[in-house]
Amino acid sequence: MVIIMQKHADTVVKYMFFCLLLAGAVGILCLPKETYTKAERRKLANFPKFTIESVLQEDYMSDLETYLLDHFPGREHLRRVKALFAYDILQQKENNDIYMVGNVAAKLEYPLNQASVEKAAEKMQKLQEMYFPESKIGEGKVYYTIVPDKNYFLAEQNGYPTMDYDMLVNMIQEKLTDMSYIDIMDTLSIEDYYRTDTHWRQEQIFDTAQIIAEQMGHDVLLQGELQEISDFYGVYYGQSALPLPAEKLYYLENESTKNAKVSSLEDKTMNSVYTTNKTDVDKYDVYLGGAQALIHIENPEAKTDARLILFRDSFGSSLAPLLLEAYREVILIDTRYIKPELLADYVDFETNMENTQILFLYNTLLLNNSSMLR
Amino acid sequence: MLYGAVSVICPKSTGHTLQNLVLCMMSCLFYAWGEPYYIFLMLVQILIVYGLSLIMERKQEKRAGTIAYLLAILFPLSSLFYFKYSGIKNLTLPIGISFYTFQLVSYAIDVRRRVVKPPKSLLTFMTYVTFFPQLIAGPIVRYSDMERELTERTRTNQDMADGIVRFSVGLAKKVLLANVLGEFVQEASQIGQRSLALSWGYALAVSLQLYFDFSGYSDMAIGLGRMFGFHFPENFQYPFISKSMTEFWRRWHMTLGAWFRDYVYIPLGGNRVRPARWVLNILIVWTLTGLWHGAGWNFAVWGFYFGILLIVERAIKINGSSIFCKVLQHAYVVVGILISFLIFHEENMDHAWLAITSLWKIPVSVDEACGYLLRNRLGILALGIIGATPLPRILWGKLCTWLNREWMIRSIQGVAVLVLMVLCTAYLIDGSFNPFLYFRF
Repeated sequence: MVIIMQKHADTVVKYMFFCLLLAGAVGILCLPKETYTKAERRKLANFPKFTIESVLQEDYMSDLETYLLDHFPGREHLRRVKALFAYDILQQKENNDIYMVGNVAAKLEYPLNQASVEKAAEKMQKLQEMYFPESKIGEGKVYYTIVPDKNYFLAEQNGYPTMDYDMLVNMIQEKLTDMSYIDIMDTLSIEDYYRTDTHWRQEQIFDTAQIIAEQMGHDVLLQGELQEISDFYGVYYGQSALPLPAEKLYYLENESTKNAKVSSLEDKTMNSVYTTNKTDVDKYDVYLGGAQALIHIENPEAKTDARLILFRDSFGSSLAPLLLEAYREVILIDTRYIKPELLADYVDFETNMENTQILFLYNTLLLNNSSMLR
Repeated sequence: MLYGAVSVICPKSTGHTLQNLVLCMMSCLFYAWGEPYYIFLMLVQILIVYGLSLIMERKQEKRAGTIAYLLAILFPLSSLFYFKYSGIKNLTLPIGISFYTFQLVSYAIDVRRRVVKPPKSLLTFMTYVTFFPQLIAGPIVRYSDMERELTERTRTNQDMADGIVRFSVGLAKKVLLANVLGEFVQEASQIGQRSLALSWGYALAVSLQLYFDFSGYSDMAIGLGRMFGFHFPENFQYPFISKSMTEFWRRWHMTLGAWFRDYVYIPLGGNRVRPARWVLNILIVWTLTGLWHGAGWNFAVWGFYFGILLIVERAIKINGSSIFCKVLQHAYVVVGILISFLIFHEENMDHAWLAITSLWKIPVSVDEACGYLLRNRLGILALGIIGATPLPRILWGKLCTWLNREWMIRSIQGVAVLVLMVLCTAYLIDGSFNPFLYFRF
């Protein structure tokens, strides 16, 4: 009897193992294939084309392995298993550089890349010299501000390595002496950021927007109605692979935003400040359609003829609607997606320059990785 | 793995010739998957060595036999030398060449010594050399180890279950331990000024990563071999509990040590020579052992380093002596191993020297990330240290004794296999690149 049970146990182990392998294989072959992973914000690999050349160069094999990993059944669940094992069993402080402080997720960014910060400052300076020399637009029209990332509030206080923010700001200030620095660091706290995303919350940065506007000589009342989008899972949700709760995303609607005329260089269908039809992948894209090279906004409700040219990253998408009421025209430029040399083909840098202000708004993560800027 | 499953399931009901044919074909496909060109190099070497071994067998006492013998050794060794040590730019090293070259050479020597006879069938010989579980990463299996099982093996459910358990443990060692330790090694290597604690943590992680990486692959090979009905020799036996370097090399990469002992050291005279000649023999063997691992000076130094330590141990009779108490002996071995693997791991001797001296030099300033890096990886270091000792096996033995029911023990093993396979899959999916450190040997 014991021997029979032993044999059965051996057989069970054997079949269980092969069933596991078979389940994986069948899953890969038969389950419908996704093309995009929302959690990781990237396209999944396509099935590689079989050619003799690709086999001989070993590309086919490595591409096939990438495909199999990308399309393995239960991929997101398995990533969660790995994350939980890393945090709970191995007691790691981070998983894929994502760490948690309470229920707030942040991504490690260390150390300070001084060469990158210098390069970023040089690029801003070059843009100013190219399009906005003092001789052309007058003094005191060019501003810059630096948006701290979440590590600024979380890392050092919780024992994580962090970049030297003071040095970063000093380096930029030493370089951009012809621009006016708007310090917004003290206007922000960790509560002003999404728990599962890198970005700040628009409804929490009214005071920041008012400080920026005030330093640029304007007042913004920021009245209106907050609209809600539920079930927002930020970029860190996917990267962390942890079961984090969804958040609510809010955007401020008022007469300026409702009546604004919006056009994008890349997206011809875009015609509103808040693009509620573009929230399938990332709900943060509700703010001005997400990543766009050049956006032009006209505000017929503005009480002045002022024009703002905003060189920005994704943080600028949610800030710009808050500054809109102070300007007749706002032009948002993201030089990650368009070369500075081409801007003159799309933006008028000659007329109405006396009413034009320029604001560079970049967050510290971008400044530390400024090779993204063209 | 599915590949292996098909290989296992298909041949079960067929004769050995057909089983070997399927195994050989799938092993060649396996190798060609990573080396679409160099598969032909391996096959040509197999054909040539097999043909020469037949000549050796027939013309044993004659000059032709001697020439065939010399060619059977020189041809694969010269191929290894060309790819590994010639330094030709853009010449990539074929995967596993160091392993299958040693298999071919050991076969030729054993035929000459009449330890084995050449198999009647080329297919049998090809199956031996190309057998995929051990082809690219060892253990270095001699023809005599596999000779009987190539034609007479049986495969029981117990073999299969044991093999599955062993394979799963090996995979876990590689994916859950070695790879994660490798992440820590990578992180720590990028720190400009390591603290003393981080330097020791780094050295420990380098050693443990190498151990789990290599022993994990050996376990996978032994497990897979078992699933196919082959019983491979053990390659690692808890080397970190050694109390001397002599003992360490009886526990670390045992098949390589045995290979050099039987085919280099003993033919040179072993220890049955004058002391000066013995010292030379040891230094030759250990320098060659180092160079087998890689073509850099640091590998030669690594091997030479062990040679010196073995000579010193023999001279002052550490092995079996009570000159040092057990704790000091063990500490000496651990520190010696950590230093050796820093030499082995670093890009060159300059980097190795920096890493070694950082074990006792207190830096003027340290990178502020040092404390965090160590805290972040304390868990895996602790798991690695425990896993490198016989403690898990001892605890498992006690549990088995307590349970006292084979079927219960097997059931627990089954659940453990499931858990390990899911975890390993999870890790593999989360990362995407999973290099094996020894695959270019």
